[in-house]
Amino acid sequence: MTDVRKYLREWAMPHVLCPGCAHGIVLKSFLEAVDQLQLDQDKVAMVAGIGCSSRLAGYADLCTMHGTHGRAPAFATGLKLARPDLDVVVVSGDGDGLAIGGNHLIHAARRNIDITVLLLNNSIYGMTGGQVAPTTPQGAIASTSPGGNSEASFDPCRLLTGAGASFVARVLAATPIEMTKTIVEAMSHPGFAFIEIVGDCPEYFGRYNKAGGGAEMLNFIARQGESVAVPLTSKRFVNHVPAPEPRPGLRTGVLNREIRPVYSGVRGAVSDEA
Amino acid sequence: MTTETKGLILAGVGGQGVILASMIVADALVRAGHDVKQSEVHGMAQRGGSVFSHIRWGAGVDSPLVGQGTAEVLAAFEWAEAIRSVGYVREGGAVVADLRTIVPPGACQDRRSWRRGYPDVDPELFLGRRVKSRLIDAAATASELGNVRAANSVILGAVAAFLDIERRHWEEAIEAMVPPGTAEVNLAAFRAGSEASDARIPGRAPEPRGYAGPHLIDIRHDWCKGCDICSRVCPEFCLEVDPRGRLEIVDHQACTGCRLCELLCPDFAISVTAPTEQTPKPSEAVTNHG
Amino acid sequence: MAETRLIQGNEACALGAIAAGCRFFGGYPITPSSGIAEQMVRLLPGVGGVFIQMEDEIASLAAVIGASLGGSKAMTATSGPGFSLMQEHIGFAAMAEVPCVIVNVMRGGPSTGLPTSPSQGDVMQARWGTHGDHPAVVLAPSSVGEVHELTVRAFNLAERFRTPVILTYDEVVGHTRESVILPDRVDVVDRPRPDEDPGSFLPKRVTPDGVPPMAAFGDGYRFHVTGLAHDERGFPTQDNAVAGALLTRLHNKIDDHLDEVADVEEYMLDDADVVLFAYGIVGRSAHEAVRRARDRGVRAGLFRPRTLWPFPSGRLAEVTAGVDRVIVAEMNLGQMISEVAGAAAATTEVVGHLRADGKPITPSELLETVLAQGGDRP
Repeated sequence: MTDVRKYLREWAMPHVLCPGCAHGIVLKSFLEAVDQLQLDQDKVAMVAGIGCSSRLAGYADLCTMHGTHGRAPAFATGLKLARPDLDVVVVSGDGDGLAIGGNHLIHAARRNIDITVLLLNNSIYGMTGGQVAPTTPQGAIASTSPGGNSEASFDPCRLLTGAGASFVARVLAATPIEMTKTIVEAMSHPGFAFIEIVGDCPEYFGRYNKAGGGAEMLNFIARQGESVAVPLTSKRFVNHVPAPEPRPGLRTGVLNREIRPVYSGVRGAVSDEA
Repeated sequence: MTTETKGLILAGVGGQGVILASMIVADALVRAGHDVKQSEVHGMAQRGGSVFSHIRWGAGVDSPLVGQGTAEVLAAFEWAEAIRSVGYVREGGAVVADLRTIVPPGACQDRRSWRRGYPDVDPELFLGRRVKSRLIDAAATASELGNVRAANSVILGAVAAFLDIERRHWEEAIEAMVPPGTAEVNLAAFRAGSEASDARIPGRAPEPRGYAGPHLIDIRHDWCKGCDICSRVCPEFCLEVDPRGRLEIVDHQACTGCRLCELLCPDFAISVTAPTEQTPKPSEAVTNHG
Repeated sequence: MAETRLIQGNEACALGAIAAGCRFFGGYPITPSSGIAEQMVRLLPGVGGVFIQMEDEIASLAAVIGASLGGSKAMTATSGPGFSLMQEHIGFAAMAEVPCVIVNVMRGGPSTGLPTSPSQGDVMQARWGTHGDHPAVVLAPSSVGEVHELTVRAFNLAERFRTPVILTYDEVVGHTRESVILPDRVDVVDRPRPDEDPGSFLPKRVTPDGVPPMAAFGDGYRFHVTGLAHDERGFPTQDNAVAGALLTRLHNKIDDHLDEVADVEEYMLDDADVVLFAYGIVGRSAHEAVRRARDRGVRAGLFRPRTLWPFPSGRLAEVTAGVDRVIVAEMNLGQMISEVAGAAAATTEVVGHLRADGKPITPSELLETVLAQGGDRP
């Protein structure tokens, strides 16, 4: 068993993430995939936006970029077009990828550019202090939805499938072996691959919603595979919001896979550039 | 008329080619002039789960399902499946069983000892069933003929010895059904199977080499944030976060090396490795069950 | 063999970019800059480059930065509203020190404003549009030929100093066709590359020059790029001393090399009593106004910065010493005029000839101003 710590910038550790935050599990799982695929570290680029999830890039001993909020798919697009020899992986969060960066994400999917996007969904804005996110379940408490979130939330996988992503999968941060396997499949997929990784935010989501710490939240995610929301009581709702229907079980695994032409930009038949 | 209807069971696990073999049997029976019905079950087949096929034939067959204790022959492509299905065979019927054992992951009953629940290869386990039995090593026979993938034809040959079907019908069915270019080796395998005598039963296979004894748990305290995930997921309660938030190994001996703590540590603070030669594993960690 | 060609400003920009080694273009349609993209998509495949039309201007500059990190010389082009969207990544490129060229073909603003009438309303945005303290290198050509020349220069400065360079001209320059003779070859500068062992590579190493050597992703150097304040390893830091030193270096790497960046056309300044300060298309009107004023016996001169930023304060102070008046002519309601007022000698009066109605400033109207300002001397 390889110790994936060899793929870390050890001098940068420990990382900035809160105790119990599953983002570190995702990084480990991703590095395990890099190891299983026997990729050349010099030829793997990890492109991130802004937010807790995006801080992961800094700790991987790869070609890493920590760009601007939501724009990672656009940076990655330029990089991949200029350097088709690189494996380009975007690491993003639910706010980063689905709110401010939603447009870039769906267009990268539409083009079917050969990049892999890991979207770490913890249902909240962590870096900024627990604000409501596009994936916060209805009724859940956040610092900007103190009476319970009254907005509907995105299903990232359905969104991306609709946008044309040729590989769409959902995994749970609580099941790292399955996660690694899925990342390996995604990175091996020709074209745009999207993985929603359902994880926890004990510091904000957990505290606000009395969902416990990292262990409890991961346990909840692993057992129910349904929702990162806790059972919600009526006092958490603003008056006009109806009580939530129990969400159907979260489907996990590869949800969409198709082979279609991979986008490589408008270029000549033969490139004389590296 | 039911008294004239006969039945046969084929049993194996996913990936062995049980369905193709049953189609050959059914085809041969049709060629021999019978009314034939065949039905198969292959639930978790792709994960090595049970696959079995019922075949009934005679002058007029209504149901394809063979009743318990009524089959002429059980053709078992895997040892545990032979035990599982032997109840279908009528008194005086026959069991043709391959020696092959395919141990499913779920048979591991205890990670501490790697004890597994898989039956010994021993015809005594048919005791209580008054049946004829023919144990064969189909893979070895097929290999000698040049293609291990013809093993199922060896089994069919052995089955044919217990059925009253003319050889030419078998051979026509095999030629019609096997993949192109493999008819010759399959026919040879069929003949070898029909002449096969009981194979020598091998000694008990060694226990799997899994080592579940104490592993080396390395904690990087400078990276650990005391989040408590590891200690909460450890099935053996090896780890504990003390009141000051420091992670401690409280039971080093209990670790089975499952790596759950390592995999779920968000801070890369734990690694679990098997002991090296310099750190000999305690003898009690490996227990053989005879 | 150099030949005379009749081309548009936007076409000259594209040709200049290709000549300078640009191999990546990412853009989004907006008038009056779209002609550049429409040229680049035809030119790039023939030289092994790549073109992409992105989903918006934010993404366009992001893709350009991504390509530049991969080692390509890269460019985008836009106009006012799109330039506003690009500000985010101009700041990122400045902070992360990623060479790139942003072309802004100015049209009337604010907001959607006056498409597609000419304007010079974005020159302060070009300097200060993105948040925070940052260096800015902004070039302002006034003719089709100069668009070609300064596009090449924009790439060279971007590569030389690892910084975003903005090339800005107005709609008239962009859409004007002029006969030009383009050079057969141009001097091309490439970004400094590291030569050390990858193991000891520091992506933001402080060098005497102030410009750290830049590796491309995929070339054997593994490093981190961030828009956060960072140390020599390129890794985020909250250390105030380190962050302060970084910002200072980002400025100094330009300011310490002003001789390489500054670029001013000076016309009839030696004995001038009244100086016209003009740039871009207005510079051409001013040139003619100066000539015609001289015909009338007024000692007028022209100070036309081709590099708008860094602002040529020192040179302007020198040439305005003893000058009675400086007339700042610009197609906005007064942007560069405050810089001029700050730089000119205390005894020099600075007046504006300002226009922001979507019409270019003509030589005749400028002449009137010069005669009025220059004719009432005692």
